[in-house]
Amino acid sequence: MLDLLAQTSLNAVYAASYISLIAVGLVLIFGVMGVINFAHGELFMLGAYAVVALYADMQLPFLMAVAAGLLFVGLLGLVMERTLFRPLKDNPLGGLVASIGLLMILQALAVLGFGVRMEHVPPVTQEVIAFSDKVRLPLARLYVIVAAVLLLTGLWYFLKRTRFGWALRASAQDPEAAALQGISITQTARIAMFIGAALAGVAGALTAPLVSVNPHMGHSVIVTAFIVIIVGGVGSLEGAVIASVVYAFVHTFVTTLYDGVIADIVGLSLMLLVLIVRPTGLFGSADRA
Amino acid sequence: MTKFLEIRGLTMRFGGLLAVDNLSFTVEHGQIHGLIGPNGAGKTTTFNMISGFYKPTSGKVLLRGEDISGLKTHEVARRGVVRTFQHSTLFAELTVLENALVGTHMPFRPNIFAAIIGWDKEDRIGAEARAREALEFFGLEHLAQERAGDLSHGHQRALGMAVAYASHPDVILLDEPFTGMNPEETRRMMGLMRALRDNGITLLLVEHDMQAIMGLCDTITCMSFGKFLAEGGPAEIRNHPAVIEAYLGGARHVA
Amino acid sequence: MPRILFFALGLIGLVALPHALSFSQQEILVFLVINVLLVASYRLLTLTGEWSLGHVVIMGVGAYASALFSKNLGIYVPFAMLLGGMTSALLAVLLSFPLFRMKGFYFLIGSFAAGEIIRLLWKRFRDPFGGAKGIKGIEPMPDFSIGVYEFDFFEPISYYYMSGAVVVFCLWILWRIERSPVGLTFHAVHWQDKLAEASGVNLRAYRTLAFSIASGFAGLSGALLAHYVGTINPNSFDVEVMVFVLTWAIVGGTATFYGPILGCVVLTILNEIVLRELGFEQMRPLIYGAIMILSILFMPKGLESIVQRLTRRTPVAAPREKVAE
Repeated sequence: MLDLLAQTSLNAVYAASYISLIAVGLVLIFGVMGVINFAHGELFMLGAYAVVALYADMQLPFLMAVAAGLLFVGLLGLVMERTLFRPLKDNPLGGLVASIGLLMILQALAVLGFGVRMEHVPPVTQEVIAFSDKVRLPLARLYVIVAAVLLLTGLWYFLKRTRFGWALRASAQDPEAAALQGISITQTARIAMFIGAALAGVAGALTAPLVSVNPHMGHSVIVTAFIVIIVGGVGSLEGAVIASVVYAFVHTFVTTLYDGVIADIVGLSLMLLVLIVRPTGLFGSADRA
Repeated sequence: MTKFLEIRGLTMRFGGLLAVDNLSFTVEHGQIHGLIGPNGAGKTTTFNMISGFYKPTSGKVLLRGEDISGLKTHEVARRGVVRTFQHSTLFAELTVLENALVGTHMPFRPNIFAAIIGWDKEDRIGAEARAREALEFFGLEHLAQERAGDLSHGHQRALGMAVAYASHPDVILLDEPFTGMNPEETRRMMGLMRALRDNGITLLLVEHDMQAIMGLCDTITCMSFGKFLAEGGPAEIRNHPAVIEAYLGGARHVA
Repeated sequence: MPRILFFALGLIGLVALPHALSFSQQEILVFLVINVLLVASYRLLTLTGEWSLGHVVIMGVGAYASALFSKNLGIYVPFAMLLGGMTSALLAVLLSFPLFRMKGFYFLIGSFAAGEIIRLLWKRFRDPFGGAKGIKGIEPMPDFSIGVYEFDFFEPISYYYMSGAVVVFCLWILWRIERSPVGLTFHAVHWQDKLAEASGVNLRAYRTLAFSIASGFAGLSGALLAHYVGTINPNSFDVEVMVFVLTWAIVGGTATFYGPILGCVVLTILNEIVLRELGFEQMRPLIYGAIMILSILFMPKGLESIVQRLTRRTPVAAPREKVAE
């Protein structure tokens, strides 16, 4: 029983690590741009395909593939900012619709480029850390956890300690006041889009060897991310991380005890409950909708 | 004898801030009643509690003896107390006539089944007649087909009152009705308010500019820092030492 | 009157249309007719300013309900369809309690969550929903004759006439609602809910009313679909279908009654006839996505704005001064 608890907790920590990368990016984009990026799951998917192309097919080192995925998806974020979200700044529904359109395009491109079949990515390492007979943590998962912690710590440092970060937080809180302070909205939007997208891309790239990579993998990811950012309070980065952990534990335990579908239902119900009780989320107070 | 509109011990607390503190006064039927006070006196909060936008922390709003505090805005409206808004809050995308038609929602409550079958002809004719009557009263008849968002500021304010008037209210609550108006528009608006009163409608208006409503109101209640300060006719209020002190004090703060 | 002539010509065109099409095109035509009802019902909801992401699942509720009513309870199919629509409307009333605590973006996400939960329940519970495989062998519409025409529902052309008549009748009802004082109140709730409330409008009641009527018609469209295709499963009503509905509404525009219908018809023709026949099968989602983005960027007011410019009639907010005619 204790073994089960320990093992499931380890699984949950792993899930929390990549979910929080995705959710934090989504929150960052929403905070600065005021747009819910429905294509965020597809950015995750593209990061995974970068690893498929560079690491699995072209045999480049894994870390190089991950870095390339991060950079590629981050740059795609810049393109999205310039071509979609900036022109649609004054159209609240517009950004959402455009991101749904982009979702379909990216999915179709993945199908055209790689086919609908699941891709097999060779494992980075087969090693397993065995705490006991039944409690085991594959080293590959530990890498993901460590990478997520490092990235989020780096982001936290960037947001709290640098001038860019200060500008970013200021314009997330109140774009007009930030503009009066001489902060370039366009500049902060670019940074937010790059970081937000890159985080999704790197999450996809890191987990590619551990999940089934296919063109439609973004769907469950975006649903999860929505649940997490709602529970965490839209606009709150800390809330998103905390909610990722809470969600990962709830979902992993319900999956272990019952089954995956029930776990999904519980997750969605959790989100509805939060919306009913506190329509702006548990930790958030930002109301930009 | 039950009073017409009685505010009894109204209190509103936002967190640690006591915005309105145990406020009581009575509005007589058929009068123009002014609620004045320097900025931050709690007038708008009081206004929002009477109109059902806020639920008071404690205290009551009694309309003909019935407690209407804590009711939703539409429930308050259905009891005959209709509010207007500080800014030009209108259905900007709809025409002037359509704005007034929304105002007739209460006397001619739409019924969806009758509307589908076409059994609501009489109601529709009645509603349109009432809407046009309201527009005529405020001199907007000739603008009936204009988009409300395209009207001049003065006309928009008048339309806001026409929407309220179209619903056959007993009381109209006016939130700073003269803000942003030039003297000519102000003079015309005062004339309309007197005409409303002469039609048996009670008006309660909130205003921080004391001079603007001196010549208009029958009774004035003055509040300061959330508390009742003084009440009386315009002449009485104008010379009331506490009122002068409150306004001068406020002016010193501003300066 | 030229207007009556216009409608008569349109009707004749609609009756004659399937005879000029191939069998597979006739099948597409049936789907198109059903989708027209779906997207028109969606517009009624958007009248109050709320955009839902659960509308297609609500359609599915009508489909499942009608299929189960006819299959398990042996209810005559046309009645089962009506009951299916009512089930959707009733569910919408229930859902309105949690969902209408939210507004705008939160309503969007909330409706999405509610829809996904319903879909997962279908998936999870084999009895009675059939699990991931869904329901197969749904009762077809029973054949009947109206003297001049024999309805044989193995023929898409018959189903087209039947569903077409139902849809035209539903559109008429929706149009009557929109042009009525109730419709005006929906507009009022959308543009200035505070002022509407101050005019005595019960916001919750009107939002719920729009939501349940829209859901009822969506459910009916789902029932029409279920008894035509004979098989439904949770994936028949997934987010991708919702994206299509959203696209139709956006590309067509939602300021007018005909906008979303126009978007649905134009995109379906483009999608099914042009792209499929040209052999772009795999590229379809890509092109759909591109159309969505391009139209929101360069045609934010939708196809209807072009029609309005061509016909040069009244301003966007539509004339309702004829109420007393």
